[in-house]
Amino acid sequence: MTPTCGSADVRTIDGAKVRKVVVACDAGMGSSVLVASQLSETLARYAVSVQHASINEIPDDADVVVCQEALVVRTRRAVPDRVVLGFRLFLGDPAFARLARAIRDGVLLAG
Amino acid sequence: MTAPPDVADRTADSRIARIRVAAQRFGGSLAAMVMPNIGAFIAWGLLTALFAPNGWLPDPTLAALVKPAITYLLPVLIGASGGRLVHGHRGAVVGAVATIGLAVGTAVPVFFGAMIVGPLAAYLLRAFDRTLGSRVRPGFRMLVDNYSSGVLGGAMAVAGMVVVGPAVQAVTVWLGNGVQLLLDHHVLPLASAVIEPAKVLFLNNAVNHGVLGPIGAAQAAAHGKAIEFLMETNPGPGLGVLLACLVFGPRSMRPTVPGAIVIHFFGGIHEIYFPYVLARPRLLLAAIAGGAVGILTLVITDAGTIATPSPGSIIAVLAVTPKGGYLGVLAGVTVAAATSFAVGSALLGFGRAERNTDDTDLRECRRADD
Repeated sequence: MTPTCGSADVRTIDGAKVRKVVVACDAGMGSSVLVASQLSETLARYAVSVQHASINEIPDDADVVVCQEALVVRTRRAVPDRVVLGFRLFLGDPAFARLARAIRDGVLLAG
Repeated sequence: MTAPPDVADRTADSRIARIRVAAQRFGGSLAAMVMPNIGAFIAWGLLTALFAPNGWLPDPTLAALVKPAITYLLPVLIGASGGRLVHGHRGAVVGAVATIGLAVGTAVPVFFGAMIVGPLAAYLLRAFDRTLGSRVRPGFRMLVDNYSSGVLGGAMAVAGMVVVGPAVQAVTVWLGNGVQLLLDHHVLPLASAVIEPAKVLFLNNAVNHGVLGPIGAAQAAAHGKAIEFLMETNPGPGLGVLLACLVFGPRSMRPTVPGAIVIHFFGGIHEIYFPYVLARPRLLLAAIAGGAVGILTLVITDAGTIATPSPGSIIAVLAVTPKGGYLGVLAGVTVAAATSFAVGSALLGFGRAERNTDDTDLRECRRADD
């Protein structure tokens, strides 16, 4: 799922150290709000805050940035030093559960 | 062609990826100048719908708000947002001042012009701030800051009025005429062949707010409504695609579709259906067919809206539909949905095709970004 092809400089972060997840989309007003509200429900119990933002205005303190696959390359360019995870479907994508599990179990996240 | 085929393929792939990222970034910044100001567009649309001579509560006194709002307020907001993207609040201020010159110097709404002079003025101010401005002693900082933006803004306003304004007016009129030409030759529906693929590549905001919205605003200012506002925002094509997925799509896909339909059609977040199209690229043909037939229906019924429905929800669409225009707009949405559903269902083999491929390609997850 994590698109690594072609990007030699993949960033990693220990899932247990994630404190803030930012969901990014083009405008930061529609689809990112949708995903952020779903994610914040599952991640609140691990004391991880979830925000939404436009790709151009991702906050500096984001540990992990989540966005739709088609926007991953653009997002990586915007925040080259952050872990960027792509998902496919806005509802019920397995990537969301995987992120929650990695944060719970302290697994290394790469992307 | 000395490179082995797979290397050549990868270069071609990465070139496409580069072009797509460039388009997304450019389009994203166009949309970012418009979208934060949608509330003002809605206010303007509502004022027009209510108080204009053919509105719900015609009132010549209150209708006086309509023209200054679209001629000055909306372009200035776009110019300010464009300036802000480049250089924060100082950029927003000079962007706004530069835009007012442009708006006064032209007879059409200068949305495209605002997207150029706003960021340009801010860029010049940023250049000044980073070179000369940074050398000023702290005690004189406020004086220099205020007067640098004041002088630059004023100069840009003059330049906008005298030089940029006429050019922007020409381009805006030319673009409007271009759309009119397509309308006159009954080929406007062909625009869907560009709009729908651009949408699923997440260029939806760029296409709508960056291109169609500004053209539509000029049309709406002149004729009271514009079809351009509906060309991308029509929720019909996406609804049809989602319905086809619900009935005939892969089983793994179906459980999430009902929620997606509600969020798409009523919430207006079209992004939610793009992944279903990307997972079954042939569904793009269904979206194009739905979009094209929808536009054709809108053309035949002479339908349009007063402002951009944003987000592209059926509720927002109806809210900006002019009095007496509901039939055409609803027909455009319904026919588009029916068409994309029919074509989409056929492309999914009415459920037969998915039996062989069920689940596998949704899980396997093609890398869309490389």
